[in-house]
Amino acid sequence: MRSKFTSPDELPDTLVGEPPEQWLLHGPTKRYVDNYHWHHPKVGIVASYTPTAQNVEDHFDIFRGVDQIESFAQASVVSCGAFSECKKLNVIPERLAELFVPTFISIGNVNFHSYLEKGQTFVNIGFIKFYKWRQIVCDGRIYRAPKGLDLDAYFKDFDEQRLMKYDIGKEFVLIAELFDITGRGIKKEMFEKLL
Amino acid sequence: MERQEIIDGLIEVLRTVRTVDPAKLEHVTEDTDFLTDMNTPSTELINIAAKVEQKFDIEFEDEDIDEMGSKVRDVVDLIIKVKARGEAEKGESA
Repeated sequence: MRSKFTSPDELPDTLVGEPPEQWLLHGPTKRYVDNYHWHHPKVGIVASYTPTAQNVEDHFDIFRGVDQIESFAQASVVSCGAFSECKKLNVIPERLAELFVPTFISIGNVNFHSYLEKGQTFVNIGFIKFYKWRQIVCDGRIYRAPKGLDLDAYFKDFDEQRLMKYDIGKEFVLIAELFDITGRGIKKEMFEKLL
Repeated sequence: MERQEIIDGLIEVLRTVRTVDPAKLEHVTEDTDFLTDMNTPSTELINIAAKVEQKFDIEFEDEDIDEMGSKVRDVVDLIIKVKARGEAEKGESA
């Protein structure tokens, strides 16, 4: 997809309402974020995804745990990292992708509590524990969202305190807890040396 | 600042890192490798770098961390380089 940005001056203040394909430049079949609902660049993010038939193929119509982790990482580490680096370097995401490769560095503990079927929308709620030197570490949770809920409206007045306490309604079902999900933007020339 | 003084400071930092075995700090030399000799998880190097910044009152740039090796010598060299850069910058702004 072509970048909608032609200049860093056009970069938004947050990712809310942004098309994920503008920030997650891989894809489209491995892109597991549909919408950003809340974002504070120094704090964290809320983003949703709804697994498709292709996502659950050959897996009992269930969205795999590793794909949940991938979705969480894309929503938190990659999206927040790309956004903050673009702001820091004053470049558009397309240019950032020419300079750095977003890499998965580490996964801490992950506890699964329930599962997700095709068509069930879930939210990734991630907060940034560490962000420095292009390395970002996030903790968070995945919740199944109530069917038909307007997530943009629901998270419109969300804030840092509620994020840290996972203060959302009881109608959301806890799917997974994720700790120390870590990624790093590695210079392209250094990444190529790893081969 | 002498290299041994930096190594001693580095060892002090390492004593505060949960994943570093204190027994392995008894025989640290410049050739000691954090990853292979001390079994430090690679993700911990970033946390160590953050603590080193505080300890030595320096500020690493992204590129410093990109180029940082995993031996004690590499970290000592980097601290010396960044300290010198900081002093040069102070001199320019004075």
